[in-house]
Amino acid sequence: MQVYDSDVKQSPIISQVQGVWEKRGLLKLLVSRDLTVRYKRSVIGIWWSLLNPLFTTFVMFWVFNTVFKARMPDGTSFLPYLLSGVLLMTLFNQGLTMAADAIATGAGVLTKVYVRPEIFAFSATISAAINFFFGLIPLTLVLAISHKWPGWSFPLAIIVVGCMTLFTTGLGLMLAIAYVNFDDSRSLIQIFLLALQYMTPVFYPISVLGPHTKRVIELNPLTSYLSVFRDVFGNNYVASLNNWLMMGFSSIAMFCLGFYVFQRAWPRVVAKI
Amino acid sequence: MATSGGENLMSEIIVEVKDASLAYRRTRHRVSSLKQTAIDTIKKRMAYEEFFALKGVSMEIKRGETVAVIGRNGAGKSTLLKVVARVLPPTTGRVVVRGAVAPMIELGAGFNPELTGAENMLLYGTLLGRTPKEMRGRIESIAEWAGLTEHLDIPVRAYSSGMVARLAFATATDNVPDLLLIDEVLSVGDEDFQERSKARTETLMNSGCAVLLVTHDLNTVRTMATRAIYLDHGAPKASGKPEEVIEQYLADLHR
Repeated sequence: MQVYDSDVKQSPIISQVQGVWEKRGLLKLLVSRDLTVRYKRSVIGIWWSLLNPLFTTFVMFWVFNTVFKARMPDGTSFLPYLLSGVLLMTLFNQGLTMAADAIATGAGVLTKVYVRPEIFAFSATISAAINFFFGLIPLTLVLAISHKWPGWSFPLAIIVVGCMTLFTTGLGLMLAIAYVNFDDSRSLIQIFLLALQYMTPVFYPISVLGPHTKRVIELNPLTSYLSVFRDVFGNNYVASLNNWLMMGFSSIAMFCLGFYVFQRAWPRVVAKI
Repeated sequence: MATSGGENLMSEIIVEVKDASLAYRRTRHRVSSLKQTAIDTIKKRMAYEEFFALKGVSMEIKRGETVAVIGRNGAGKSTLLKVVARVLPPTTGRVVVRGAVAPMIELGAGFNPELTGAENMLLYGTLLGRTPKEMRGRIESIAEWAGLTEHLDIPVRAYSSGMVARLAFATATDNVPDLLLIDEVLSVGDEDFQERSKARTETLMNSGCAVLLVTHDLNTVRTMATRAIYLDHGAPKASGKPEEVIEQYLADLHR
């Protein structure tokens, strides 16, 4: 029999992760709901969700390649570099906003029934990760067109996606608190995401930057995810050990921070609703 | 504990609330934008006050008992429900709940219009604490009771509002929990379904589970509750026999 005793305090992170794991049946249902709604019921199916990143890539490619006549300094082709950047940023943006949205829109249920809200955040970031895997199909095609195939190390991209899932779940949990508390946080986050996109080497190589700018850009944790992803999947960049460490550390740190902040702030949010 | 052998199962205590309080800091002016918060912080105008939504509430609910919570709007009735549902941890005091908890919540809150009736039912039941496996085995009979067997495979978007309410109600009341939480007894759908849903709620309440009922309908309290608690500004002002508690509440109300 399940017993709830408010006096039994659990160690925050571990118990929370356990709680999510115990409810993996619900997690699976939520993910399949997201995917069903997105894929099964629309005519163009998965291509619809890829339309945005593909079109963004197309526009950016046209702007930088044709208008500015920019070339990669090492002579490699620009398109796979750009597409891998756009896809990973889409994973980040989608995961983050969908996680926060899932909790904000689910608040009606979450404030009445005991369900760990973290499960909603997780389901959103996992759906975003599955979308991302579909995006690897056009990326492989683009690589092939530029006479490059995904390197032998391509399965390691799973590690990048795993780290990104932890990172966006943690950040998304904190954003969810902002979404529920402040009406204007949705529009502010869009500005923030745009700024972050420019501060990540999505459409420019780090090597063209001056030393000061380069340091700033490298402080952005997303830079490391992108570097590692381009290294393991496209072989069109060489990631350093630093990149790997930064990626691993930032994902775990953000995940723990997000859970911690959320656990403290959520009861206050529920009390006010 | 009363679960073992000789003792009567009916005396088993399902809910224990001991001197529970719930306090939170709230801003004096209801701020809901980051912009306003930033301006107020800079101007040092942020004034917080400690607000007690619950103050020293104690109660016990045994198996088979129905405890009704009454009081004015904002007296802390729904907060008490949330604390017992373990959605909110009490700031001080202790809450112990033994067994499975099922809330009867606003109907259809967790529904997605793009999913079919069966898919929504599965998700909704799982949100309410059952396992997907249990739910899969129950879908047919739930749909039959709600009279929706033929509509199970079409998206809920195509349902009428009455059908949505029937689906939600049938799902929420399908199993007998150890503790049933009710925020206003629901009556939904057409007249025939209202009768049936009311009867089903009563059957559920009399099926031996513990019930915590929050309502403004004093007649329901008179007929269904074994005990009542009257909350005033978060604090218990009276508790005991429903008739006596209602009397005091009405006396305060008309003063």
